[in-house]
Amino acid sequence: MTREGFLASNPASATIRVDSVDESLLNAIRGMPQVAAADARRMVIARAMVNGTWGSAVLFATTDFRNLQIGVVAPRSGQWPPADGTVVIESSSVDFAGAVTGEPLTLQLGDNDPVSLKVAGIAQDVGLAPGWMEHVVYAYVTPATLAKLGGPSSLNQLQIVVRDKSLSRSQVRQIAFAARDLASKNGHLTFDVDVPEPGKHIHSAQINSLLMTQGIFGLLALVLSGFLVINLITAMLAGQVREIGVMKALGASGNQLAAMYLGLALVLGLAACAIATPAALLIGRWYADFTSSLLNFNTAGFGVPRWSVAIQLAAGTLLPVAVAAFPVLRGSRISVSDALRDFGLGARGNGVLLRGIDGLGRPLLLALRNSLRKQQRTLLTLATLAIGGAVYIGALNLRTSIRGSVDYLFGTINRYDLMVRFSEPHAPDSLVNVVEAVAGVTGVEAWGVKRAALSIGASQLGVSFPLMAIPPGSRMVSYPAAEGRLLGDGDRDAMVVSKTLIGEDSSFRVGATVQIVIDGKTSSWKVVGVVDGGPQPLAMTTPPAMKLVTGGDKTDLTVITAPAGDVSAEGRISRRLRQELGENGFSVASIQLVAENRRILEDHLLLVVSFLLVMSQAMIVVGGLGLASTMSLAVLERTREIGVMRAIGASHGSILALLEVESLVIGIAGWIIAIPLSIPASVIIGKVFGSIMFPVPVTFVPQWGAVLEWLVVVVVVSIAACAWPALRATRITIARALSYE
Amino acid sequence: MTSSINASNGASHLISLENVTKTFPAPGGLFTALADVSLTIDKGAFAVIMGQSGSGKSTLLGLLSGIDRPSSGNVHVGTTAVNKLSEREMSSWRGKAVGIVFQFFQLLPTLTAAENVMLPMDFCSTWPVGERRQRALNLLERLGIADQADKFPAKLSGGQQQRAAIARALANEPRVLLADEPTGNLDSRTANSILAMRGTTRAALCSWFSQLPSVSRARGRFSTHGPFCAE
Repeated sequence: MTREGFLASNPASATIRVDSVDESLLNAIRGMPQVAAADARRMVIARAMVNGTWGSAVLFATTDFRNLQIGVVAPRSGQWPPADGTVVIESSSVDFAGAVTGEPLTLQLGDNDPVSLKVAGIAQDVGLAPGWMEHVVYAYVTPATLAKLGGPSSLNQLQIVVRDKSLSRSQVRQIAFAARDLASKNGHLTFDVDVPEPGKHIHSAQINSLLMTQGIFGLLALVLSGFLVINLITAMLAGQVREIGVMKALGASGNQLAAMYLGLALVLGLAACAIATPAALLIGRWYADFTSSLLNFNTAGFGVPRWSVAIQLAAGTLLPVAVAAFPVLRGSRISVSDALRDFGLGARGNGVLLRGIDGLGRPLLLALRNSLRKQQRTLLTLATLAIGGAVYIGALNLRTSIRGSVDYLFGTINRYDLMVRFSEPHAPDSLVNVVEAVAGVTGVEAWGVKRAALSIGASQLGVSFPLMAIPPGSRMVSYPAAEGRLLGDGDRDAMVVSKTLIGEDSSFRVGATVQIVIDGKTSSWKVVGVVDGGPQPLAMTTPPAMKLVTGGDKTDLTVITAPAGDVSAEGRISRRLRQELGENGFSVASIQLVAENRRILEDHLLLVVSFLLVMSQAMIVVGGLGLASTMSLAVLERTREIGVMRAIGASHGSILALLEVESLVIGIAGWIIAIPLSIPASVIIGKVFGSIMFPVPVTFVPQWGAVLEWLVVVVVVSIAACAWPALRATRITIARALSYE
Repeated sequence: MTSSINASNGASHLISLENVTKTFPAPGGLFTALADVSLTIDKGAFAVIMGQSGSGKSTLLGLLSGIDRPSSGNVHVGTTAVNKLSEREMSSWRGKAVGIVFQFFQLLPTLTAAENVMLPMDFCSTWPVGERRQRALNLLERLGIADQADKFPAKLSGGQQQRAAIARALANEPRVLLADEPTGNLDSRTANSILAMRGTTRAALCSWFSQLPSVSRARGRFSTHGPFCAE
């Protein structure tokens, strides 16, 4: 459904940045046999006034919004397309921007004066990552409006869609490079080429992660529900043992009785389906809305597939019968004499357990021994609670791992506070000198950056990535080598790569020589090391090595350190940088705050963890239900015992306490088992998360905080699960509890 | 059961029922188990209630022990108006004042014989914690099963279970000892043991199906089939 919705917008197969796009270039590209469609647009980084502070904005401009063929934008409300002097907001940014149709939105482009534009309408582009998650305002303007903001009115991005949708990323890349070459032949300056994974939404990794989590939890919940059914049927059989004896005495065979109880399980399954299927449809719709908000599109018009309902019905009716078969077959084999000899209290006691612990009072001893009385049932309940607990602790461990990784990435590895991009490239020394002079700047480095792609044959390109040129003695980053070595001053054809890059293509192993295409030129590089570089695939080299390949060392990128108080969205340092650099002829294109980047990254990653926690909490609910059913059955089976205890002086409080302690014993045993079980759970969760999102050092030692948090949850669940059965136990009259008929 | 009788040995009344009626809702309307029964039993008395199944024996014991409440009339044990006690007061009073030997004995299967005897002491805090086990052992010894003290009920014979149940009933030195249809297992030796422990301040009441067995020292014998009779 999500894939169909995304593909319906006809997303770009590739985006080529050029100096400007005119009609003749567009026609030439549209004439390429492999190209199905081509459009031109300009994307401009700007600032928007969001709730009184400056936030990031991305403006999209094109000459003909109405006839867009690529990345089709759907009008949602108000005016579409935007008229000159107005702006249309992308729907996922509306809340973040605090935008209201008809009200003004203040935008600022570079060093130009801020301009207030009327919000004319709201539109939706399903190909964009949601603005609320990216902390950015997406807006659509005409070239004339862009010019009013002080920006260029020409279009500089060429977007194409390839004709053959089955092509791989590298094959699409070949076509994109051919289009870029065609633009060059037509006299245009061409820059980088971006080729996303064909047919994949920008948040597909997150969605896959969520779907996988959901699938695993669905299966676990199904298994644990099976435990509940076993408990229920076992108790039912235990409660009707005399009836079974009577029916057998009257001539019923074991098979007849088994069929009767299995039929009952089927009826229970059907009843559960009658409740669960509509509920699942409602929850499924809510979940679809939630995931669609991650993908920035809505689910209106999508129905629930029949096969999905069929699977629900099949699982809901057949699973109870299948799992009930074990207790039913065993229970129906009981002999008539055993069944009819069901007077008094249970004959068997678990004598060895807790014998000789004289320090415990009898009520506590009784509660402890009773908790172990029905061992199979207790084991199933423990399994439910322990699995839920292990996943809960595992999810909390993953959260700790992610936070640790993010701390490591933004605290230990990246030590700069701001990244400033200039509108034009400049000599590194001049950039450093002018930035250093700005008050509040405590350190600055100019870095080179080029888009690079792996060459994997005469006409094939592999993974693309940014190649950073960073001075080896940089004070702004400190990448520890995970493998191999770091770069030295003398390196001229060496690169180190991030773990994420090597995860995308294993050609980048240490010691390998790889062919890299930069600005259309192929050069040979030796991979000398691997570093922890965060979630983005990237590679690093030295500035001299970059200069050898590109023929120059001009750059448009600086990284800066500044006092914490100066660095914020409204920080003094950003204002001073824009003002003073602009006055010196260095136009600032964008300023990225590392703290903001960190927040965005955490939001993306922790969303998955939050989902994982919600799922594990759902399992805790299942575990709680299991415990509640176990305690209900205990009350049911021990009605007479409870009557006896009350007859010999036990108060309501004593009975309540007895049952609560029993429930707590099971809950705490589940808690204890969950602790070692959380180690493999943490490893599995961490590995799966790492393979889908980005590798994090797995924290598998249970965190004290997580363990204690789980203990609190277990205690609350145990007390709550037992509350109703315990209360019911006190309401049974002694006379009824002791009756034999 | 409809009658008015007393089992008097000249001592003051310990148990007294005044015009007690007990009805139960039944599919065919209200079923009267006891109708206007008045009864007194003195300290030190040992009385037996006899009757067919469904004649109200267990109901009578239930009213005496506070397990059930009369539909009308009053039940007094000593100076306590049993039917006037709240639920909370009732469990504490019952634990201390009444010892019950249940039909089929009803020992808790997850506690040993000694632990079963100690349980009422725990619930009612009638004996210091450190003395409870010794008291339980003393009671079991007097009933002749001290060597079975640490066995679970499943390992005891029917007679041993019965003695353990009697020991449990006596744990808190109750003023009234009630035994509900001990199904013929109450042999004369056990009965004599109970009577020996009954002393002069306590009354014992035993319900019995149909014919009275060899409880030769019973001072009161009430029939719930027809008018009460007493000896």
